[in-house]
Amino acid sequence: MIKLDHVTKSYKAGATALADISLEVDKGEFVFLVGASGSGKSTFIRLLIKDEEPDTGDIVIAGKRLVGMKNWKVPALRRELGCVFQDFKLLDNKTVAENVSFALEVIGKPRNTINKTVPEVLKVVGLAHKHAAYPHELSGGEQQRVSIARAFVNHPRILLCDEPTGNLDPTTSVGIMKLLDRINKTGTTVLMATHDQHIVDSMRRRVVELEDGRMVRDQRRGVYGYGA
Amino acid sequence: MAPRFRYLLGELGVGLRRNLLMTVATVVTVTVSLSLLGAGLLTQRQVDIARQLFFQEVEVSIFLSDDISQQQRQSLERALADHPNVEHVQYESKEQAYAHFQEIFSDNESLLEGVSPKILPASFRVSLEDPQQFAEVAGAFRGRPGVDEVADQGQYLDRFFAILNGLRNGAVAIAVLQLAAASALIFNTIRVTAFARREQTGIMKLVGATNWYIRLPFMLEGIVAGVLGALLAGGLLLLASVTILSGVGQQIQFIPIVGTAEVLGVIPVLLVVGAVIAAVSSFLSLRRFLAV
Repeated sequence: MIKLDHVTKSYKAGATALADISLEVDKGEFVFLVGASGSGKSTFIRLLIKDEEPDTGDIVIAGKRLVGMKNWKVPALRRELGCVFQDFKLLDNKTVAENVSFALEVIGKPRNTINKTVPEVLKVVGLAHKHAAYPHELSGGEQQRVSIARAFVNHPRILLCDEPTGNLDPTTSVGIMKLLDRINKTGTTVLMATHDQHIVDSMRRRVVELEDGRMVRDQRRGVYGYGA
Repeated sequence: MAPRFRYLLGELGVGLRRNLLMTVATVVTVTVSLSLLGAGLLTQRQVDIARQLFFQEVEVSIFLSDDISQQQRQSLERALADHPNVEHVQYESKEQAYAHFQEIFSDNESLLEGVSPKILPASFRVSLEDPQQFAEVAGAFRGRPGVDEVADQGQYLDRFFAILNGLRNGAVAIAVLQLAAASALIFNTIRVTAFARREQTGIMKLVGATNWYIRLPFMLEGIVAGVLGALLAGGLLLLASVTILSGVGQQIQFIPIVGTAEVLGVIPVLLVVGAVIAAVSSFLSLRRFLAV
């Protein structure tokens, strides 16, 4: 589902963000991408959504080869990916339901499909009763649920999460993780960048660790640190 | 929550006002530039009308010297008749010229008294197939034996047209400069709008909206400014046509002056130019925001 082959990425300043990363993720897997701030996790995600282009190496995601992909093909790629970020990226002037429908509207889904799927997905994330609320009226955890609903409403094959619990307290984070786990159980591949040790340790999923842009560990049913 | 809401409204107000001013500036610039372009096009139209009218009647007059021989006159007449661009040749003798003169100046006794058939030259009046080529015909017969002088009315027309052409070129040159300014303004306005909405645009890109889907509303905003400017320019030209031009038309009776019909013909051109320039500027201005 996701395949990186000797991928290297450095920025103009000269810092190497990712060095020679090779990794394969199968359909339906749940993978934690761990490492300290600046270890290259965000660059990793940005490469996968083709926000950045690798210097060398090859990336294949959802059956699409990203290197050399034409710009006009990028929207089709992104429709197969759901993205969740630490800062939620919700539109403040739209309600919860509108924020979620927006993702479907702008890719040209018909109105009646939108009217049917948005309440469904809001129910999945447990926010059906808040559909008319605005983002600033919600707690951080609720906002992140809206953002997950938006990422998942188009039933993407892969869900990419960049520090989704980074702004949330531990209790709220657990709720978010339960939601991501449920989404993973529907067959969606989930890749989550995080430095939240608690979450990684309690989930016992595959762990890929980055350190200064290099992959230092790839472990089935891993925990955050070594030896734990 | 209330202060935050007020802050948001304030930001929106500032954004709108700033954008409104920019939009007004853009529309005004487009209006000015397209008015000038329209004026240039109308001048061109005026030149065409005048040229057509004048050249229909333009003749080359070949005045003959008094000592021309019968033979010289006949060979001249034959050469004229054989010339490919000559439509019709008419000989005007001294007596006919005098009669013509009397007719023209019938109300000017003193002038008539000083003139006798003797001092008026005989001439060939030559009408042309293609009156635009009068210089060529005139040149071919100037200096021939028995030819005193070749007068063509084209000489005077040339000066008249040179002035009109100069006016047209001036108007078009200023219009082009103004259009460059207008497209820079549209470029900037759209960039500001896109910057204000970059969050929304970012999300649209993230969920896989196509670039055209994202681009279209912004481009429409630019095109509206362009079309609005074109309509205002058309309005100004119409106003000018019913006030200034119709007044000029009454003063100058010998040629028809462009009027409302011509202005109406120019307006679609202005609309297309305004819309296309706005669309292109907006398109270019959005490139940075849509770079994947």
